[in-house]
Amino acid sequence: MAKRPQPRFPEPHTEPFWEGAKQGELRYQRCAACEGVVFYPRQHCPACGADELEWLVSKGEGTVYTFSVVRQNRMPGFIDLGAYSVAYVDLDEGFRMMSGVIGVENPTTDIAIGQRVRVEFEEQEEGEYPIPLFRPIG
Amino acid sequence: MTPAADADATAPRYLRDRYAIVGVGETTYTRGSNLSTRALGTWAVKNAMEDAGIPAAELDGMMSYSNNDSTPSPMIAGDLGLRLNFYMDVYGGGSSSEALVGLAMGAIEAGMCNAVAIFRSMNGYSQVRIGGTGARARAPVAGDALHTTPYGWFSAGQNFSPSFMRHMYDYGTTPEQLAMVKVIHSEHASNNPKAYYRQRVTVDDVLNSRMIVKPLRLLDCCVETDNATALIVTRAERAGDYRHRSPRVLGVAGRVCKPRSDMHFQHGPISTVAGRYIRDIIWPNAGVGPEDIDLTGAYDAFTFTTMLQLEDYGFCAKGEGGDYVSSGVMRLGGERPNNTSGGHLCEGYTHGMNMIIENVRQLRGEVDDSCPLDGRGHRLHTYDYSEGGCRQVRDANVSMNLGWAMPGTGSSLVMRRG
Ligand SMILES: [Zn+2]
Repeated sequence: MAKRPQPRFPEPHTEPFWEGAKQGELRYQRCAACEGVVFYPRQHCPACGADELEWLVSKGEGTVYTFSVVRQNRMPGFIDLGAYSVAYVDLDEGFRMMSGVIGVENPTTDIAIGQRVRVEFEEQEEGEYPIPLFRPIG
Repeated sequence: MTPAADADATAPRYLRDRYAIVGVGETTYTRGSNLSTRALGTWAVKNAMEDAGIPAAELDGMMSYSNNDSTPSPMIAGDLGLRLNFYMDVYGGGSSSEALVGLAMGAIEAGMCNAVAIFRSMNGYSQVRIGGTGARARAPVAGDALHTTPYGWFSAGQNFSPSFMRHMYDYGTTPEQLAMVKVIHSEHASNNPKAYYRQRVTVDDVLNSRMIVKPLRLLDCCVETDNATALIVTRAERAGDYRHRSPRVLGVAGRVCKPRSDMHFQHGPISTVAGRYIRDIIWPNAGVGPEDIDLTGAYDAFTFTTMLQLEDYGFCAKGEGGDYVSSGVMRLGGERPNNTSGGHLCEGYTHGMNMIIENVRQLRGEVDDSCPLDGRGHRLHTYDYSEGGCRQVRDANVSMNLGWAMPGTGSSLVMRRG
């Protein structure tokens, strides 16, 4: 069972994102006024300043925009991972999200910019919020 | 977007040439200082005061920056017997030193004080390490960190590496090219008796060092050290009261940000850094361009940070930074040497201060290498840049410091010979 850092509530603007993660949904926002896609979640649209943002569910597919590979991290939650990637994924709905690519044999050699990936929710400890990560498609 | 002629963003140009850096000083660069940041800071400011020859009664302002890992100005001033009319201790790391020079000019311009000592004191190896201090509790997170921390994005190297990876993808930049930054800075450090690492290294040494965070290898990363550094800013018309022919400030830009500084990577190309925006302020304000700069101090927390900045300030075309840093331009004896002290990669890690101190000494023509001294304590430079030799740049008239906080934020300082 993974032990990644967990959100601490109350967290008014991002709580729906994490509740979505529990239901296997990758949620993002869209501005009701200018229709701009907003991520990560917040109160105001950074494009037009409106504060009516609606929640949508992403299909969870995207492309690796860039990434790096951390060879070791002694912090709790990461110490057992060994080498792991940090990846910025361009979701097809038009937002860029920091996450990681999992499910490859060797992160240092097997991840590439431009790779197509799909979201997957990594289970954490009992009762905790799952963390959205990405796995190469195909 | 170019601001109108009288817009606020370009106001500092009206202070062009009106301020000088009259004194610089530092402690030793060590790993294990056995001194408090208070003692280190006092030592560095004292050295800067002695360097300038400024009496305690004439130094009435003090500023510092830290990541809550230092000692505030009133303590340092107390230890030095100073009575302050102004002080300000701010939060921040890289890119603060240039920004604080500008703020010190503003404080003096506003009539709040006459001269300002700026210092950075840090036990960057033995107390608070920027690269991480090992195990911490698995604390829950909130706010912005919710979108970074669960993915294991913490240290500076982890923070910046996605930009470096994308630059290599976009422009074909290679690890071999970047290794040359370390090679050249190590050559410079070998002529700097103060440097923590004085050993010259090769491209193979860099490429064979172990991977830390892809694409960074150990020798792509700077050397964490314990040290304090200081400089003193005052009006140009007072500079003649002090010991040196003091460099004048031509222009300064402080903590300029890319769009969307909350999560800069979400907006526009990540392989472009804040220098792309700084250049629109600093060049017109300083009244010079890249071709006028004789030496640079491009922040080298990592080999890549030096390259990304030089490229986006316009020292070469976008995407040609790999060629620029590996061509020999940045080498002592080259067209525009960079970080002649060895910088953060070799001299020591100071959050940018040592690169300003070095350029001040370069513009005075009095770099502290191993060249012989004349009877009045001035260096008789040989301009022989071989190992253990000279590191004074010939005809150093205009310098630029390119300060880096992260890909999305940076600062800059242009100085000329006094
Ligand atoms: Zn909007």
